[in-house]
Amino acid sequence: MTTQDLIDKLQLKPLSTFEQREVKGVFISDMVSDVMANARSGDLWLTVQTHKSIVPAANLVDVAAVVITGGKEVPEETVQLASKFGIPILWAPMSTFALAGKLYELGLRTP
Amino acid sequence: MSTCTHEWQMANVRFGLIAFEKCFHCGSVRTYFSSEDSLPLGDEYREGDHFWSRVETAQSFRFDLQCTRCGLIEGFGELMGLMHCTGCLEDCPVEQQRRVLERQRTWLVVAFGFLPQALTSPLPERKLAVLTEFFNQRRDTSRSTIKVVPFNLIPDLSRCAGEFLHDVGMLSQEPPAERKPLFS
Repeated sequence: MTTQDLIDKLQLKPLSTFEQREVKGVFISDMVSDVMANARSGDLWLTVQTHKSIVPAANLVDVAAVVITGGKEVPEETVQLASKFGIPILWAPMSTFALAGKLYELGLRTP
Repeated sequence: MSTCTHEWQMANVRFGLIAFEKCFHCGSVRTYFSSEDSLPLGDEYREGDHFWSRVETAQSFRFDLQCTRCGLIEGFGELMGLMHCTGCLEDCPVEQQRRVLERQRTWLVVAFGFLPQALTSPLPERKLAVLTEFFNQRRDTSRSTIKVVPFNLIPDLSRCAGEFLHDVGMLSQEPPAERKPLFS
C-alpha cells in the first residue's frame, strides 16, 4: 500500500510535497522520543503534534508519512520543513482512534 | 578484533527527562538525565561558585546499541541528545557541512554529550560512526542517508539555534510556547 492509496481511500489531505512511499505499518505516538525509539522505517506515524520538530524525527526514523489527526491546524513552517526533507505530511479531520480503525480495516498492521 | 558486520538495534531503552541548567553568575550550562517523573523549572541552588537555575526540561530517552549478530553492546550513556541543525549561522562548520551533504541527500544530525563533561571528552568518532551506521541500517538508504556529526564542530554554542529532538512541554496541559535556543 502506498501513501497515494491512503490519500485516495481515506480522503487524507497532503500538505507537503513528497515522493510516493510504500507504507509498511502504523505507529501512533505524540512523543518524538517514542518515535525515535520505537517507530520503524516505512511506518505511517499518526500524531496530534504539529510542532516542526516532528519533521527531523520522522526523517531520522524514515517513516513513510506523518498523519496529523483530529483536524489540527499545521503550522506553515512544519509543512515547509517537511517538503524540504520530502516527508509526506497528511492531514486527517478524524480522530487518531477513528483513523487507526480505518487503517486496520485496510489491512495495515503494526509488525 | 571482531570480524562481525554489525547489525544494530536499540537496547536498554530508558525514558526520562533531560534537564538544562544555567549558572546566572558565570553563564555556564550543564545538562543531565533524570528518571524522575518531573523536574520543576526555576529551581535554583548554589554549588560552589555556581548559582544553578533549571531553565528547561525535556522528555527524552537513553539507549545502547546491540549487535543482533554477535551480541556486542555499545553504550551510549554519555549521549545527551540529537539536534537538528536549523542553518542559523552561515559561518558554522556544521551548517557548511549540512549544505554540502544535503545536495547528496544526506541529512546531518548533531550528537550532543552531557555538558560540561562533553566539552573536554566528546563522543568518540567511533561511536558517532556506530550511530550513523545504526540510523542508516534502519532506513531505505536508496532514498537518503543520515550522518551524525559531533557538537564540538559548533564554534559558539551561545549563538546556536538548533533544535533538539526532545519532547518539550509534554507534561503541561498548556500548548507549548515557541522553543527558545537553549544555549544563548
